Amino acid sequence: MPPGALTDERDVREAYAAHASELYGFAVRSLGDSGLAEEAVQETFVRAWRAGERFDPQIGSLRTWLFAILRNVVIDLGRARAVRPTVADDGIEVAVEPLDEALLSWQIEEAMRRIGEQHRRVLVETYYRGRPYAEVAAELGVPEGTVKSRVYYGLRALRIVLEEMGYED
Amino acid sequence: MKTDGCRRWREALGAYALGHLPDDERAGIEAHLEGCAACRAEADSLLAVSRLLPHADPARFGPAPQPPPELGKRIASTIGAERRSKSRRRRLHFGLGFGGAAAAAAAAALAIFVLSGSGESSPERHIAFSALPEGVKIGATLEPQAYGTEIHMYVKGISSGTLCRVYMRGPGGADVSAGSFRYRWGGDDAATLSAALDLSRAEALVVHAGERTFVAPLEQGDASDRNTPQEEEST
Repeated sequence: MPPGALTDERDVREAYAAHASELYGFAVRSLGDSGLAEEAVQETFVRAWRAGERFDPQIGSLRTWLFAILRNVVIDLGRARAVRPTVADDGIEVAVEPLDEALLSWQIEEAMRRIGEQHRRVLVETYYRGRPYAEVAAELGVPEGTVKSRVYYGLRALRIVLEEMGYED
Repeated sequence: MKTDGCRRWREALGAYALGHLPDDERAGIEAHLEGCAACRAEADSLLAVSRLLPHADPARFGPAPQPPPELGKRIASTIGAERRSKSRRRRLHFGLGFGGAAAAAAAAALAIFVLSGSGESSPERHIAFSALPEGVKIGATLEPQAYGTEIHMYVKGISSGTLCRVYMRGPGGADVSAGSFRYRWGGDDAATLSAALDLSRAEALVVHAGERTFVAPLEQGDASDRNTPQEEEST
């Protein structure tokens, strides 16, 4: 058994304290239901504990491993939902966002939450809302050049946070 | 060519990567990037980040939802219950010489029988739900634990894939979640759950199966209402 394997209940408690909040955030994002998300997180830790001997920190981080398990749990829950007789009469299921797209979206949104408010604000205003830099600068009471440099430092911060989160492109 | 002159270009690289620069400024930057490998590398990495932005939804940049505080305890008690029931199954498994997952399920069912039939002063309670639709059977064995109550549920005859949420009703009608499981045809039809409520204080066991809700009141006092649990799996 590799050192660091997740074998006893204390390991699970520590893993929960460190990662449950992120796992839950992604589960809510992808399942769209807090009850199902709780179920998914619970199932993730139970599966992790059952397979704990196979976790090897030499190969990848605990966080990555837990996310991989959660991804499978979410797929299973999606399948189970699909066999429930709730499909519309014409047999066409409501389209759900593909899971990996949801994971990508969640990672970027999580990274956005982690960068500073000033940086996030200028990215939202200039990029997502498409507002002119001069207008944003006037609203914030700063020179236009400051908005521009915040956009630069904001993107850099986003890149660094994504790297810390283990994002690989 | 990395000089102080780069700084003024650098701070415009964000707007450049997002495609926000007017044509003349963009042309100026691109001329600089032609001759400056360091700025070129920086621009490339910002362009890579900017390509991710369309995947995010700015309506979701607010605080992330947090798991409810009891979820961690529920997971800990589920794992604790599974560890205990596993070692129990293992003993029976060896003792009876069974093999395979179906045998493990049978062994679990047997474990319940062995314990209930033993006649010793086991504080376990067996619950059979009444007033169920034709063909549906739901039963449970409740076992007091240090953290509350361990619940072994068995379900038959409902649609495969149905999500069953289980609660214990405490004093004053407050429902304490014991977690949930999904019933599957052909799968192991027993599930082990746990609730942070003392068995002695429980007034009812509640199961939401799909759209339906079933309630089995628990009579307090001695465990003499030994309702026959569901018959053993014959497969």
